[in-house]
Amino acid sequence: MSYLMYILLFGLVLGLVAVASNPSPYFAALGLVVVAGVGCGVLVGSGGCFLSLILFLIYLGGMLVVFAYSAAMAAEPFPEGWGSWPTLRLMVGYVVGVGFAWGLMGKFWYEEDWLGFDGVVELSVLRGDVGGVSLMYSSGGWLLIGGGWVLLLTLFVVLELTRGLSRGALRAV
Amino acid sequence: MAPFVYSTLIISLGLGTTTTFASTHWYLAWMGIEINTLAIIPLMTQNHNPRAIEATTKYFFAQATASATLLFAAVSNAFLTGEWDILQINHPLTSTLTTLALAMKIGLAPLHSWMPEVMQGLNLLTGLILSTWQKLAPFCLIYQIQPDNPNVFITLGLLSVIVGGWGGFNQVQLRKILAYSSIAHLGWMILILPFSPPLTLLALFTYLMMTFSLFSSFMLVRTTHINSLSTSWAKIPTLTACVPLILLSLGGLPPLTGFLPKWLILQELTKQDLAPIATLAALSSLFSLYFYLRLSYTMTLTMPPNNPAGTLPWRLNPQHNTLPLALTATTTIFLLPITPTILALFTS
Repeated sequence: MSYLMYILLFGLVLGLVAVASNPSPYFAALGLVVVAGVGCGVLVGSGGCFLSLILFLIYLGGMLVVFAYSAAMAAEPFPEGWGSWPTLRLMVGYVVGVGFAWGLMGKFWYEEDWLGFDGVVELSVLRGDVGGVSLMYSSGGWLLIGGGWVLLLTLFVVLELTRGLSRGALRAV
Repeated sequence: MAPFVYSTLIISLGLGTTTTFASTHWYLAWMGIEINTLAIIPLMTQNHNPRAIEATTKYFFAQATASATLLFAAVSNAFLTGEWDILQINHPLTSTLTTLALAMKIGLAPLHSWMPEVMQGLNLLTGLILSTWQKLAPFCLIYQIQPDNPNVFITLGLLSVIVGGWGGFNQVQLRKILAYSSIAHLGWMILILPFSPPLTLLALFTYLMMTFSLFSSFMLVRTTHINSLSTSWAKIPTLTACVPLILLSLGGLPPLTGFLPKWLILQELTKQDLAPIATLAALSSLFSLYFYLRLSYTMTLTMPPNNPAGTLPWRLNPQHNTLPLALTATTTIFLLPITPTILALFTS
């Protein structure tokens, strides 16, 4: 099991390196899909099955899909891919940075228990996150309303920033 | 902007600060700060000119970086100590990281470079909201940090006082001068935080009153440059008489209110055996006094060349809402004699 987690985390870091060194937005979105996928795997392995499901549905199936369609509307015929020398330099740089951080902080990761759930983790039936969701609807009701208000606010902010066509904030629209 | 959207944004500004004020959990405090940042972005872009958009972009980058650092500090604290409570930041790493993140939020040196550029791109009203309301939520969190080592705060504070004074030296744009004055005053507030948090609050409230008066004065005569300030003496003669007093209060001269926080801060620093730091701070605020004096010189003490028609605007009948300025200018000029009352109010 820890071998599986190791593979997933390795894929996570590599995917993040790919996202950070992306040559064009479409490939960054592809990297994000990979990262979200393996991140969900890491979450499941840590006991947060419901959270992983929500991440898949909302993040991948909602936000990334919307982003992919918007990016596709501004597509260019020959986007720069990962097979270019500047991208390779960036990727090597990020991998070196990750190695540096690992060297600095690496010995702390194995000694601490970074799992916040009840201790019986791996692929068992959960208690942690679904209990949290039910709390969010009961005692955390006001925070839920606040969260909904903030979503509405974000909508207004984005609409206000992008309206007006060429007379507005984004003159290229 | 449509009234519905405008009211949503203003309500969200209030909601964000209230959330941070009411929170004991780091997550909720961070959420309130993010709501504030999000809500003010369209208010900054409502003029739709490229300079305002540039200012908004710079503001967003600086605030997003600071918020991410703040969240990282909170999560690191939970990782290292298991505590999410705001008052329980005991680990030196997370305490320092939180301080630096909040310092970037409010624009303390050396994390101040976004402040003059952002203020320059905004109209005076939005700049006023940025200088006053947006400082309240981070200050609420700064006030609750219990520092064990005062070095970070003294460094941030002293550097801010020096940078705020020295940076404003050569400026002719009033909004940049106001930004540097904000940096200097925030430096004084942070300087005294490890020794006497009530004095920080006192300095904050007096600064809010003083800067509100100055912004309102500039808004009334509609000036953003020293050149236009010099020919605005005839617009509202009473204001021309009051603005030097507001400016000298900002500079910290007795017998005006602005002397009060500086005096008490210097006294507290001396009691803590930090007389050289107190001297350095006092001497550095002479820099700020220079440009406040220059502003009062151009507005009131001299009459630059102008055509005769420029001396008659006071005869027109303008639509002014001068009540806020009247109230805050009164507090800016006349509050020094009731120092013991103010002290009792803040240290009770």
